[in-house]
Amino acid sequence: MTAPEKQVFPGPVLNHHSGKLLIGTRYWPTEIWRRPWSLPRYRAGALWLVGIILGIAAIGFGIGELAVWGEKILVWLGRCGLPAPAVAWVWVLIKLCCVIGVIVANGLWAVWWERKISAHIQSRMGPMYAGGFHGWAQTIFDTIKLLLKEDVTPAAADQAMHLLAPIVAIAPCIIAFAPVLFGNELAAAKLDMGVLYIFAFASISVIGVVMAGWASGNKYSLLGGLRAAAQIVSYELPRGFSIVPVLMFAGSLDLAVIDRAQAGYWMGCIPRWFVFYPVVGQIAFLFFLIASVAETNRTPFDIPEAESELVAGFHTEFSGMKWSMFFLMEYGYVLLSSFLLAVFFLGGGASPLPWLVGIPSWIWMLSKAMLMMFVFLWFRWTFPRLRVDQLMDFNWKFLLPWSFANIGLAGVLVYLHLRGWGLR
Amino acid sequence: MIEAIAFYCMAAVALTGAVMVVTLRNTVHSALALGLSLAGVAGLFACLGADFLFAGQLLIYVGGIAILIIFAVMLLGRASNLHLRQINQQWAAALLVCAITGAGLWRLVGIFRHTSSSAPATATTRSIGLLMLGDYALPFELISLVLLAALLGAVFFSRKDIS
Repeated sequence: MTAPEKQVFPGPVLNHHSGKLLIGTRYWPTEIWRRPWSLPRYRAGALWLVGIILGIAAIGFGIGELAVWGEKILVWLGRCGLPAPAVAWVWVLIKLCCVIGVIVANGLWAVWWERKISAHIQSRMGPMYAGGFHGWAQTIFDTIKLLLKEDVTPAAADQAMHLLAPIVAIAPCIIAFAPVLFGNELAAAKLDMGVLYIFAFASISVIGVVMAGWASGNKYSLLGGLRAAAQIVSYELPRGFSIVPVLMFAGSLDLAVIDRAQAGYWMGCIPRWFVFYPVVGQIAFLFFLIASVAETNRTPFDIPEAESELVAGFHTEFSGMKWSMFFLMEYGYVLLSSFLLAVFFLGGGASPLPWLVGIPSWIWMLSKAMLMMFVFLWFRWTFPRLRVDQLMDFNWKFLLPWSFANIGLAGVLVYLHLRGWGLR
Repeated sequence: MIEAIAFYCMAAVALTGAVMVVTLRNTVHSALALGLSLAGVAGLFACLGADFLFAGQLLIYVGGIAILIIFAVMLLGRASNLHLRQINQQWAAALLVCAITGAGLWRLVGIFRHTSSSAPATATTRSIGLLMLGDYALPFELISLVLLAALLGAVFFSRKDIS
């Protein structure tokens, strides 16, 4: 008996002169991806990626810590001859503009990135024309389109509530960014109860969503709003309880203290990040990630806007800029969760390897947040949607009890540490 | 100066919201106004330097209880849009009760008006935690027991009889 002959794929058929893929070959795209490195564009893409990473690192070396620049600007403001309260107000305004700029720029970037990732997961190209390079300007033109769109309010809608809903949804999202750390000591406000503050404001946005659903005068929208309320109030519990171990390890609600508590390395190479704490860290990380995805109403937890059931859920009856406010909110919360994941579990601005400490903390923080954001987008295009009852069962019968158990485990770990048997 | 302006603005928000709760005719609007009023109370806590209470008020009352009330009101559907009158024949008695309570609270405020400290606000989270799990651990645990009993009671009385 001889083994059946193994089918060998000869590789993609390329043009001899240009090296480009020949159109109309008998191969499926999936067969081409068996030997991706034979594609010149694949190699070029890898080179681009390495170049971008090295470029960002070089820019980081050049700029240095952003917090230091902030101090310099503050000193310069003080020398301008303004009275002290005016300096304080101008300084707050500058920080406010920076934070709003981050949120808006994130909207532009994340929508484009999400479209590219979803396209590549589905073997498509995504936006390719606007702006020239891989459709980089697509969301800018989309924003102009949204600005020019007619703002329609349905006749059956509650006019005032319909106008207020997007504002109530987006405002807490912007306010919640105040204590978020963008690097070591780089935050708009230093708050002793920063974690609680973020969770408190992030929990208000759902009122805007419910208002939108109710004010639209449309039963699909109302159902979407009700589902959003039930889901977000439920998932807030495991989201809050899953980070209690982190707060126990760090001993504070201040994000800067949590960030500092993860500095240093075990045995000179393993970073002391909370995600590497045995068992407790990994459970807390996963639960926080899952609950954060549910809080942002994204697939697999997107039942408030499930297209196949509810048209578009609570934002069915919104158009133009009102509609885009809901999307700005969604991507704002994705960014917030990404930064929180980076600070709580991935060491914040700490470098993952001891010999890379020259790169400033904001580069590390941003890279970790973007990595987490990629996970969010990846989730959305990979998992199927849960049913309403599965969603609630998963929360109340699995996430919540096990996050309580995780707090108990964290207590054991802290006790062992105090007795001197724990990790040093 | 700025603290005083912020305090009176927040007080105005809380009171306006409260008045809207009892005067608006649409139940959903009333429920949303309740959320506004509770947020105003949170703002008052923030103005007085009670940072932990501020975040707790927002998290539990605005982000939890107000949403659940809105949820319950909306579940009633379009029947809630009946634009009912919010006042019945007993309004005079209610006004009297409110007046007496208000006068009593005014007297109480008069007693404590000189006790407010003018020192800059400090972080309260750590000291609240130490007190709750130190000196006041027993009352704290007792309250949590009462809340647990209330929770179980609510589940017990609202469940459907399966048999």
